[in-house]
Amino acid sequence: MTQIQIPSGMRDILSDECMIKDRLKSKIMAVYESYGYRQIETPLIEFYSTYQNTFTALKEETLYKFVDESGQLLALRTDMTLPIARVTAGKYASDNLPLRFCYCSNVYKVRQSFAGKRNEVTDCGVELIGLDDSSDVEVLSCALDVMAALGAEKYTLEIGSSELFRLACEKSGIDTEKAAVLADLIDRKEIPALKEYLKTLSLSSEAGRFFNALPLLGGKEALENAMKLCFDEELREEISHMITLRDILSELGYGDHVTFDLGKVPHLEYYTGIIFEGYAEGIGTSVLSGGRYDTLLSKLGRDLPAIGFGVKLDYLLDIMSSEKSEITKLYYPKDQIASAMKKARELRKTEPVEMIPREAGEMEVVR
Amino acid sequence: MSLSVALTKGRLESQTVAMLEKSGYGIEKLRNKGRALVFPDTKKDIRYFLVKANDCITYVEHGVADIGVVGKDTLMEGGKDYYEMLDLEIGKCRFIVAGLAGANPLEKSGHIRIGSKYPNVAKDYFRSKGKDIEVIKIDGSVELAPVLGLTDGIVDIMETGATLKENGLVVYDTAAELSARVIVNKASFKMKRDEIMTLINDLERMIPHAEEN
Repeated sequence: MTQIQIPSGMRDILSDECMIKDRLKSKIMAVYESYGYRQIETPLIEFYSTYQNTFTALKEETLYKFVDESGQLLALRTDMTLPIARVTAGKYASDNLPLRFCYCSNVYKVRQSFAGKRNEVTDCGVELIGLDDSSDVEVLSCALDVMAALGAEKYTLEIGSSELFRLACEKSGIDTEKAAVLADLIDRKEIPALKEYLKTLSLSSEAGRFFNALPLLGGKEALENAMKLCFDEELREEISHMITLRDILSELGYGDHVTFDLGKVPHLEYYTGIIFEGYAEGIGTSVLSGGRYDTLLSKLGRDLPAIGFGVKLDYLLDIMSSEKSEITKLYYPKDQIASAMKKARELRKTEPVEMIPREAGEMEVVR
Repeated sequence: MSLSVALTKGRLESQTVAMLEKSGYGIEKLRNKGRALVFPDTKKDIRYFLVKANDCITYVEHGVADIGVVGKDTLMEGGKDYYEMLDLEIGKCRFIVAGLAGANPLEKSGHIRIGSKYPNVAKDYFRSKGKDIEVIKIDGSVELAPVLGLTDGIVDIMETGATLKENGLVVYDTAAELSARVIVNKASFKMKRDEIMTLINDLERMIPHAEEN
């Protein structure tokens, strides 16, 4: 039997789409390079243990796994952040900090079948390694410039803080296991279940009010409303840090495209400071995501603060207009191939030319 | 900005439509459906469409629908890439664990087989009780499986319990309380927050708190 199918979650990208994707990639990489990021490429294949040793809550079923000739378990990379952290830890030991990397690479994740989801996507992002949260503004501004470069009519960058949530749990004596359940409920804005769960934690009434309100602490006035609900000085400091961020971003002219959502607390074991996601009108998923991850590199033996984000190109293709690039057609009778080639060579100095043979007739240029 | 709302066909449909109507939404077209599949609101900038429960999640996860109304049973079995923002407290029922009288599957030693339309729910429930089980997916009358000896018990939705009783099955535990939920696409919530919060607040005011189904 002929085999013409591709594995679940994969896609062939045909010429028009390729062209749009390539153009999109150039626009984004130009922004990264203008911020001083340098390109890096890493292997598609990593040791499975690189992921396993770094992420305690790794969902192993989401990795494509296979074995090498010596029986070691390998995996297709699921992101670029970990490979770049690995390179930093292992190959840049004595280099000058900070390091600025940008990449545009395919990453792989096994996702639900028959749900229209992509298991292979092109991730185009940056990692800034070796600077603390005073560089958050710089990275956010780069993210906003990228969102602008995508050309979406309406877009927004939403900022949250995993530190605020972590501190709030610490101050209320909520242990890691319970914090993980709580984070999941808040992040998914599962308000009915959150109310029930909070009742079982026997919190102070201020802390209860704070956690109950978190999922909807977004939109206008989010930070002011949050400030009123903070039940500890350190929490207020965290909000002040975010207010400072907001003010600087406004001063830089990004104000209309920045929102805050303090109920955004994904991947707690990974993110340590601000987290952010970009949304564009007409796309049902976030198109840009990132955050600060100050503890990841220490798991690879190098204790350095870091922050980064990436844009998944494939989700953007749907809203990109297909400005078809024109290819000139040169029709030629088969017996005049030599003179047709000369003509084409002349034309190719200024435009792309596609040659189309004919049985008989005249040579003809069609634009 | 215009909103798209996916409503689950069938049991939840009329109750959801009634709640919308009471809040002043123009749902006439949903009452006189004909062969249409998409129904514009006659008063507000909203369009509704009717889908099967599983599809409701799919439409919302892809952002084709901004909002969906769907049973918690379907949510527990399916994906999780959406916000679950409101319990409408309609269509109340339970996930139960049942088996033949005197044969509680929770107390059985050795290999346990459970029949269910909801394999993930069944697995998760028994795992939470520290039991490793084999799930056999049954699509039709799940009650039949233990009666004929295919499985040691079932995990299924129960409304009144009449079918179970008639077939000699005993309810051994409640795995979860169920009702209709409002789910929201994550990206839509960022781009259309005000419109979505208005609809959610309108629906929340109509929740029949005192009523029992």
